[in-house]
Order: sequence, then structure tokens, then C-alpha cells
Amino acid sequence: MPVLELKQVTKRFGDFTAVDEVSFSIEKGVILSLLGPSGCGKTTTLRMVAGFENPDEGQIIISGQDMQGQRPYERNVGLLFQDYALFPHMSVEQNIAYGLKRRGVDRTATNTRVEEMLELVKLSELRKRRPGLLSGGQQQRVALARALATNPEIVLLDEPLSALDAKLRQELRIELKQILSAVDATTIVVTHDQEEAMSLGDSVIVMNQGRIMQQGAPTDIYRKPKTKFVAAFIGRSNWFKGAVGETIDKGVCRFDTVSGLSLLVPTPDPVATTTSTNSQAYEVCVRPERININPNIESGNDNKTEAINRHAGTIRDVAHLGPDIHLLIELNSGDMLTASEQYHGQALEQSGEQVELSFRPEDCIIVPADS
Amino acid sequence: MVIAMVITFVFLVAPIIVAIMMSFDGRSYLGRFPPPSYSIQWYTNFFSDTYYLAGLRTSLVIAVITTLVSTAAGVSAAIVIDRYEFPGKQALETLFLSPLVVPAVVIGFALLLFFALIGVFQGYPRLLAGHIIITLPYTVRTTLAGLVGIRKSLTEAAMVLGANERQAFWDVTFPLARTGIVAGAVFAFAFSMDDVAVSLFLTSPDTYTLPVAMVSMMRTNFDLTIAAAAVVLMVFTVGLIFLLEWLIGLERLIGGGVFRS
Repeated sequence: MPVLELKQVTKRFGDFTAVDEVSFSIEKGVILSLLGPSGCGKTTTLRMVAGFENPDEGQIIISGQDMQGQRPYERNVGLLFQDYALFPHMSVEQNIAYGLKRRGVDRTATNTRVEEMLELVKLSELRKRRPGLLSGGQQQRVALARALATNPEIVLLDEPLSALDAKLRQELRIELKQILSAVDATTIVVTHDQEEAMSLGDSVIVMNQGRIMQQGAPTDIYRKPKTKFVAAFIGRSNWFKGAVGETIDKGVCRFDTVSGLSLLVPTPDPVATTTSTNSQAYEVCVRPERININPNIESGNDNKTEAINRHAGTIRDVAHLGPDIHLLIELNSGDMLTASEQYHGQALEQSGEQVELSFRPEDCIIVPADS
Repeated sequence: MVIAMVITFVFLVAPIIVAIMMSFDGRSYLGRFPPPSYSIQWYTNFFSDTYYLAGLRTSLVIAVITTLVSTAAGVSAAIVIDRYEFPGKQALETLFLSPLVVPAVVIGFALLLFFALIGVFQGYPRLLAGHIIITLPYTVRTTLAGLVGIRKSLTEAAMVLGANERQAFWDVTFPLARTGIVAGAVFAFAFSMDDVAVSLFLTSPDTYTLPVAMVSMMRTNFDLTIAAAAVVLMVFTVGLIFLLEWLIGLERLIGGGVFRS
């Protein structure tokens, strides 16, 4: 039995449909990321699970029990707020103990549990401090300990790392994942940050305009986006507009771009084609890290039987970002592409240099244009 | 700055000092300032005069009940205004503050007519109603100021941790808004003790407040017992402020309406 199940949940605010027939379920111990731009309905979904909002239609079921009409304090849900929402007039200890006190846990059991939680988040020495005297990272750990103290059936994290600076974010992300798996918490992470969603989640749901666009493992979402929205939202990508041409090989077809390039791309998913009109327009995207850059010297002397896209272009900009190098390349067709490669001490390409780009058909993602 | 201080001293502090000194005048008639000798005869007079004592008693009873009712109502109204969005919210806020704009004499007269219309002639209910109305703007305003810094997520955090609305209020909202709420209660008490304009219309022959008693005594037999009465009235209000200063600190009471961690 799933810990949490949403069935066709819809929430409207006036004329605006914030959440539109959303259904998903989570099994025990799974971390699910709800990813989407602001206003996509992810926060409203979270607030409905917590009980701050009631769905207009559909059901929210926690451990087999319909939550319709149940107030937040009648559910056992842990919530880590984006601003942490620590009680400023209570010490770290009192903050963590609050939920236990309100749930009627007796004093000795509360003390033991608070001790456990302090150890889990490594804040035992700061137990008497007020939250105002803690750093952002420490505050977050207190908030997490407070949310986990009551052993909630489901833990909700609302943009857990957004209030922290980039370096701290990386550290805390790993720590957060360790803590959540240590207590085997069933978790929903709501975020607009794809890195956060993909690194924390066992499974990712991408939402847009109140609907679920795609659900899957992080790698699948990245490698096989089903819609243009998902492909563009997750990761960086280079886009080509055009039309699908004849099939070349098994699973590979030609794609003629409006700029005049001829690309070899995977044949579009027949399921996607049947659901749309016959004259389906497609777009193709290539991730920057999938593009190989070859100096434009050898041409035509290697094995041409392998289906591969080769195009000549000129480097317009070189940005060296530590471990990665980002290149802006103008193809002879006029298309501008971003390519990235790892830096391992090689001589950097120069702006103005002629290069040849290559990428395999399977590195191209083809999606319906209006999705 | 200097001008403001001079004006404050000349028109506020100096008259109070004169009144205090005159209340200890040793002469038995109303003479020139400063008094040549000092005694507590006017205080003896005041505390043996049943007319004044009845006024003092009524004032205290009315002020205490007014403070309780006005604070409870003001806090409730402020929370609704602060936490919820509803049509007419702005209008409601303005309505609660309107007694500040309408002249007290008008409020008093209007209430008198209204109570006559519905057949209420006793002093207590009329005075209470009048005092609650004129003190509400203060309790609503100061509570609102205290609530402004409290994020909505704090109440939600309490609720998701198992507190119902009432518990969330007492555990989180109240402690954080306390300075604002207490400031409102102090203002309510002070304004209730001190009001003349509204009370004048609403007293009945056997129920009158101390300030009203002072006004009517001033018209009939003017002597320095009034100065003593003024000092007694002042002691109650100033005493309350000092008590609060000692309890929570005046600086936080006035300047620190919002909880700062």
C-alpha cells in the first residue's frame, strides 16, 4: 500500500486552476521530487497534502485513509518550510520538542526523542540556543529535526535548499539525503531547481500549469523527455525546428531543420504521433555535453558507415568555468549552438577557430513542437 | 529639537509640577503659586469624600473591564485583519480606527441618544460601551503592529506539528505579539481612566467616573481637592506604566512592537 496517494486532485483559486487532475503515489521510504517553474502548482499540491488547502476535486489518501476535511493537526505530516519557520522565542530543544508536546508524548519520551534528533542533525551542543543565533545551515537542520521528531508518515520539503548559498547547498544536499535515508522517511521535495530535484529524488515529477508533464527516474527525465517543456526545463539544450523526413535506418530518421541542416535523429515515438494531428511538427534538441568538437582538419577519411551528425562551424565565444568549458559555436547554417567539454589541461579553443561538431543520432531528443 | 523640548516642558511638565505642588498646599484657601507651606490636607479631603471615592471606584472598575474587553476584541479583530483576505477588509480596518477621527463629544452624544432609544439608562453599561469604543482603535492598532513581523508560516508550522488554531495562537502568535498587545492594553487603561468627553454624556446620577466628578466639583466648589484628585488619577496611569517598564521594559513596549529574535 502506498504511503501517500493523490487521485485526480484539482484545486482552483477563482478562475485559476492551480492544480489540475494530479495523480501520483509514493511507496514507503521513497523520495519524490516535484519539479516545476513557479506557479506550476507544486506548492499548492504540497499545501494540500499538509492540510492547509482542501482539494476541490479528487482524493488525498495517506496510509489508506482519506484526508478530506482533516486539519493539518489531524494528520501526521512533517513539513520543512522554505523559510524554516523556527519559533524565534523557543530554543533549539524547545523547537524540536514542540510537535511531541502537542501530540501528547510524555516528558521522558520527549526528552529521549529530542536527544535522538539532536544527534541525528549533529546539533547537540547548540540545544539551548535561540534560532536567531544560528547560521542558515544550522537553522535548516533544526527545522528538519523538528519535522522528523514526530515520526511523520510523510515528510514534505518546500524548496529546502533555496535559502542557502551555492556552496553550502551542495554540502547540505548530501547531508539532507543521508538524514532522510537514515530515518527511512517517505519524502516529497518541492523545488524549482532541477539539480536539487534530480540529486535528492529517487523519482521526479515535472509539473507545469497545474499538470504533471512527466514522471520518472531522474536519468529518464533527463535522457528521454517526452515533451518540449520537460526537455527545455531540465538541463541546457540546443534547439532545432524543422520537419521529419524519411527513415534512414532502424529507429533513425532524417530531420530537415528550417535553417537548412539535415540531421539524423531518433524516429519519434509512435505513441506521441498518434495522439497528435498527422501534420505533427517536431523539434530536436541536443545537450551541450553531447556535442563533440573536432579540429576541422581531417574530413572524409574515417569510417562513414556509422550514422553520425557532422557539421562545420566557427567558435564565437569560449568560457572557461573551472571544470567545464562552454563554447558558443556558429554553424555554417547560421544556427548558434552551445557545446561543453570537460577541462583536463588541454589547449583551449580560440574564438574564431573553425571546428567540426559531431553528435550521434541517439544523443538527439525529438519532441512534438507544441508540447 | 530644542524648541520641541522647551514647548514640552512649558506646556506639559511645568503645569503638572504646579498641580502636584499645589495639591500639597498647606493653606486652606486657593492662593498663589508657590505654596508657602505644605500639608496633605487635600488628600485627606479627597480620601474622606464619598463623592470622589465613588468616582475613583467607578473609574477603576470601568477601566479594568474596558481594558479586558477592548484588548480581547482588539486582538481578535487585528488577527482577522492581519491573517485573512476578504472583501471589505480595508473598510473594516478603517471602521475600527474611526473612533480616533470622530470627535469624542459626538461619540458621547450619539451613544446617549442611542441608549435612550433602546432604553438603557444605567451608567455602567453606557460608560463601558463608550469606553470600549474609544479604546478599540488603540488595541487594534498596536496588536496589528505586533503581528506584522510574525510570518504566517510560524502558525502553519505549529499546526502541522499538531497544534490546533487556539494552541497555535497561545504558543506562537501571542508570545511574539505580546509587546504590541500589552501596549494596547496600557493605552486602553490610560484612555479609559482619563476620558471626560464621552463619559460626561454617559454618566448617570449614581454612576460617574473620577474625571467627571472633578469637572462637576470644579463648577460647584472649586478647591485644591481637585489637584489631589488629579494627582491620584495620574498615579494610577503613571504607576501602571512604571509597573510595565519594570516587567517588560518600556523600550520594548513602545519601540519594539515586533518581536526581534
